[in-house]
Amino acid sequence: MPATTIPFPLFRFKEAAAAREMPRDREEDRRRSRFEAVVLPHLDAAYNLARWLTRHDEEAEDVVQTACLRALRFFDGFQGGNARSWLLTIVRNTFYSWVAQHRERELDAPFDEEIHTVESAGGGPEAELLRRADAELLRQGFAALPLPFREVMVLREIEGLPYKEIAAIAGIPIGTVMSRLARARGHLQSYLIANGAAGGRS
Amino acid sequence: MSALSCTGDGGQRELQITAYLDGELDLAGVLDLERHLEECPRCAELLAAQRAMQQAIGAADLRFRPTLPQARRLRRTLGAPPAEPWWRQPQLRSIAALLLLAVGALAGWGAGRRWPAPAAPRTSASPQTQATPETPATPAIAEQVLASHLRAQLSGHPEDVVSTDRHTVKPWFAGHLDYSLPVIDLAAQGFPLRGGRLDYVGGRPVAALVYQAGNHLVSVLVWPAGRDAVPGSAAAASSSRGFKLRRWSQAGMTWWAVSDADSLDDLVRGLRAQLSQR
Repeated sequence: MPATTIPFPLFRFKEAAAAREMPRDREEDRRRSRFEAVVLPHLDAAYNLARWLTRHDEEAEDVVQTACLRALRFFDGFQGGNARSWLLTIVRNTFYSWVAQHRERELDAPFDEEIHTVESAGGGPEAELLRRADAELLRQGFAALPLPFREVMVLREIEGLPYKEIAAIAGIPIGTVMSRLARARGHLQSYLIANGAAGGRS
Repeated sequence: MSALSCTGDGGQRELQITAYLDGELDLAGVLDLERHLEECPRCAELLAAQRAMQQAIGAADLRFRPTLPQARRLRRTLGAPPAEPWWRQPQLRSIAALLLLAVGALAGWGAGRRWPAPAAPRTSASPQTQATPETPATPAIAEQVLASHLRAQLSGHPEDVVSTDRHTVKPWFAGHLDYSLPVIDLAAQGFPLRGGRLDYVGGRPVAALVYQAGNHLVSVLVWPAGRDAVPGSAAAASSSRGFKLRRWSQAGMTWWAVSDADSLDDLVRGLRAQLSQR
């Protein structure tokens, strides 16, 4: 409510009441607002990553929420630098501890480093078919990628991050980022050709 | 399948093509690969296919965004009391209270008894703007409007709904907000509509229209005019950190335009002219 409608003594009284409810010293306020300034701009990226990893709306929210609480706890250790990388790393780690508790099987799912080959769709160059892949089909294709591939693809193709940053977030060497992307693209390409062509999409 | 690089290279060509597509291949690698592509149709085809796929991915919007309630809950987790109005912030309230006290002491009890006259907290909150018709919340709101614009620009996806067609943008907002707003097409004036997004300003969800002005982006934030209605016909101008802000009230709405584009005033003129014809 606007302060303008509250008589002055009551105004003070309500303020005191509010202060009792939420005892926060100034230092903590400053820390919180610094934290917000660092984290808030990357909240969408955090959610996007969590959503692609969990493939579920509510679970994604849970993961981001837990990640934010962890981030706040670790915030004093944040030295400045790349806030997006920092937050996404926490989101990813949070996801993996979450998945270990809730969906252990997913972690055991074998992922095949080989490229799956499918018959070329024929009738015109493959590139033409791929270029016409729509958002729906692409989304299915991304969702079908095994986790280690999905995460690098999301960070690279949706977040547009450089290899160096992806390597830092996923905790793998740059060379592994590159080879996983190559494999992931092979998988995705096969998926799009198989499903796009089979579904008679145009 | 055709989508394989040439054999017998241990997959090195495929890795090279991947790095090439991502702009991560060094110059020597680029030269080497381009030489190879001229004589290897298989690799050329793989590159063409993967480039096409990358273009399709780029054209499709594969980003998931939190829904409005989700965003609200997440913000709460951050400990950000979701965009608290200034008068709810304890420190500012104390300052306002102290200033009120000071003003009261100076003005004497005659004026004091009239508290809480609507004007009293205004002058107390921002004595430096007494002479202007600015409302007290304005500096805080201006800061939030600018923050919205900066955040959108930094995040690299300034729109939640990407469309140059106002007939797409308007219904999208209708599904996300409890008010409807006029969406003006300014392509003829040289400011094509890019889309819209939602944001929080002054503690409520608001609509932000995104226009292109040359190489610059313009965010136009719109919400129903309330206590913050701007009297008078001119757009109130201010600037902060190299960005220009314009604010006015029209068609029952409060409008804020923010950008670093030099042509911001032209855009505002265009908007206002079209709004007045409706």
